Amino acid sequence: MGDYSMLELNFHDTTFEKCLKCHACTANCPISSATLDFGGPKHLGPELKRLMDNQQVIDDHRIELCTLCGTCDISCPENVHISTLTAYLKAIHNEQQGTKFRDFVLGNAEIVGKLASAFAPVTNITMKIKPIRKMMQMMMGIHADRQFPTYQFHHFHRKYNKKQSNTKRKVAYFVGCYATYNAPEVAEAFVKIMEYNHIEVAIPEQKCCGVPMFANGQMKQGLKNATYNTDKLLEYTRQGYDIVMTCTSCTLAFKKEYTSFLRTEEANELATHIYDANEYLRQLHDQDELNVDFAPMEVKAAYFAPCHMKGQGIGNPTMDILELIPDYQIQDLAASCCGQCGTFGFKAEKYQYSMKLGNELAETVAEVDSDYTVTECGMCKNQLNQVTNKPVKHPMEIILESYEKSHNK
Amino acid sequence: MYDVVVVGQGLTGLLSAIYAKQQNKKVALVAKGTGKNQQSTGLMGLLPGSTKGLAEWLKYFDFINQDKIMIKHGINHFKSLMDQGSYPYLGEIENPVPIVTASGHVKYTALYPKSVTPIIEGGRVVVVGFHEMIDFQPQFMKGNLLTARPKLTVETMKVKLGASSQRTMTQLDAARLLDQKEVRERVISQIKEKLNECKLSKVDMFIFPSALGIHDWQDTLEHFRTELQASITEAPGLPPNASAIRLNEVLQRKAIKLGVRFYLDSEVIGCKLRAEKLTQISVRSNHRISQIKGSHFVLATGGVLGGGLEVTTTNIKETALQLPVDHNGAFIKKPINVYPVGAALGKNVYSHGITGGIYSIVSSYSANLQIIKIEQNGGLQHA
Repeated sequence: MGDYSMLELNFHDTTFEKCLKCHACTANCPISSATLDFGGPKHLGPELKRLMDNQQVIDDHRIELCTLCGTCDISCPENVHISTLTAYLKAIHNEQQGTKFRDFVLGNAEIVGKLASAFAPVTNITMKIKPIRKMMQMMMGIHADRQFPTYQFHHFHRKYNKKQSNTKRKVAYFVGCYATYNAPEVAEAFVKIMEYNHIEVAIPEQKCCGVPMFANGQMKQGLKNATYNTDKLLEYTRQGYDIVMTCTSCTLAFKKEYTSFLRTEEANELATHIYDANEYLRQLHDQDELNVDFAPMEVKAAYFAPCHMKGQGIGNPTMDILELIPDYQIQDLAASCCGQCGTFGFKAEKYQYSMKLGNELAETVAEVDSDYTVTECGMCKNQLNQVTNKPVKHPMEIILESYEKSHNK
Repeated sequence: MYDVVVVGQGLTGLLSAIYAKQQNKKVALVAKGTGKNQQSTGLMGLLPGSTKGLAEWLKYFDFINQDKIMIKHGINHFKSLMDQGSYPYLGEIENPVPIVTASGHVKYTALYPKSVTPIIEGGRVVVVGFHEMIDFQPQFMKGNLLTARPKLTVETMKVKLGASSQRTMTQLDAARLLDQKEVRERVISQIKEKLNECKLSKVDMFIFPSALGIHDWQDTLEHFRTELQASITEAPGLPPNASAIRLNEVLQRKAIKLGVRFYLDSEVIGCKLRAEKLTQISVRSNHRISQIKGSHFVLATGGVLGGGLEVTTTNIKETALQLPVDHNGAFIKKPINVYPVGAALGKNVYSHGITGGIYSIVSSYSANLQIIKIEQNGGLQHA
């Protein structure tokens, strides 16, 4: 066995023995609700761990259907972090079976982002050509009907690259692949919102947070990125910076996965300085530091909470902030997982499960009938774009709109 | 800063959060898991494991005559909540009814969802199990049921749902399958076939596992009723029971839609007191510790079974606020703005570590009334 045999693992979590087999994780698992083909978190997590402890390592192919959404973790009444176990089972499976070329590509969102945005106009058009998509399905196993996010030639790093902040409060922004290559408008909105609050934003050296790698069993590479990011960001936090992120998956990686997988003092230290962007704004508000000069917006919005937001245990900061805008109405959809689940929904053999969850979400969105849907996660947005007719906005875009209106911009 | 902070996401936690939100309060709910609601039967009993009625219940929980109106309002409030959630509850607390469980035992319950029908005294019942689902064994149930209801004629059968599963199939999985019309039709035609084979013409009641649909349970129930021409009941057994999952979903969705802020995967590990008041709780989520401030704190941690109380070799520990409790688990010096509900009260556990659904409903309702009263009298500073 390689480096990730469960036999040799000294898990950060020591709570697995608390599992009572009550089934809450599997009962709440989105993929288990969509299909009986999945073994479920209870079996592939604590049960398999018990089976393997002090015995042979078991490679179970059913782990491929786990999306690492983390719903099992938030469901467990005994506080067992099941997704840590399933992430390692993915790594074991990958090591024994090898990484599919497709999964290697999907897992490397950053390389894909760099390449795709370098040839952005061509990439975006090509990804919409039916015969090419059919070919991609045949050769790569990427479903022909799955819509892709568009890539931007003028990606964020080309536009803004300050390395230091010279204001009293200092924020270092971990941009993430999505806001860098696909949605630079979100990153720009964040920087401007911070300016409205007299905070200059610095952009530390950074690599992909690793979430797509963990999800595709590329644990080694994911941990490499995690270590790199931890080292780079600690240089900032030790100078008094707060680390803020606009992608809920990146944020959860730093708060949960890094601490569970790296199991280092450094990862723990860093985790205490990590904030979701709305969580950060809410904290400014609590300390009477938030610029509340919001122009009224007569909007009826629906909020879709990404799984990786729910897993952070921070309440609902997006709604807390948006509700500060006068006349702004926002209703939580109270929905389950969107089914895109990062790279999961692109894969041909998983597309049906992804769309089953997506169609359920579409019904919920239709029932609420808002002007648009708000969500922080780029991948949830990708699914919402495909299954609903409503526009989808990142909270940063809305907050900026309100600030700019109020300053007549 | 919240008006009301609820700790726990079981029946009492969700109800307390909903009630507070209905009063337009700013409400946070802090929970490390989904609570024990999903592991329940979804039935609301008076004194669990007993046949005792309302009079004994009132006495056991130290209610006085004056409380009767509050209790009635609490029950009605719960019922109307479930009506709004399209999962109506039937029954009256004055008149508990016998229902059958998956083991064939007959127990008494005060409130029950529409998918459950009280067990009949005499006549012919058919217990239907599914080949794919090992948690429900009709033959096993038959023995116990005949002991409790000797006047019944009990037949058993097993039919196929027609689905293969990569995991042990549960009531919940079966319920999701039965949401599909074609699965129901397959099941019904097999039942009819078997009835014909055994020349059973008149059946009074069919007993199924707690699996008659999740989102489309009404269609499922109606479909079976019309096709089988008899009354139908679910017999709750090993979790997850569809009857409990539906209840939990209705309450959870209601709370989220009302705007309750859910702090999930979050464990309360202490608190801060000023004078006799609780000012904030410490919460650990993902190896990070943060503080949540509030005016009122509802403790819905479920007692020993829910993990809010821990029995050690020498005493009982309260795990969330980590304040001293007596040998029953009741606070020795309860902060004035802390409201333990249900089993978290410590002293009122009836049997097997639970208080029964009716007490959970009433104590959540009553805690909310206390908060309203304090607020009406000018808040905690005047309390």
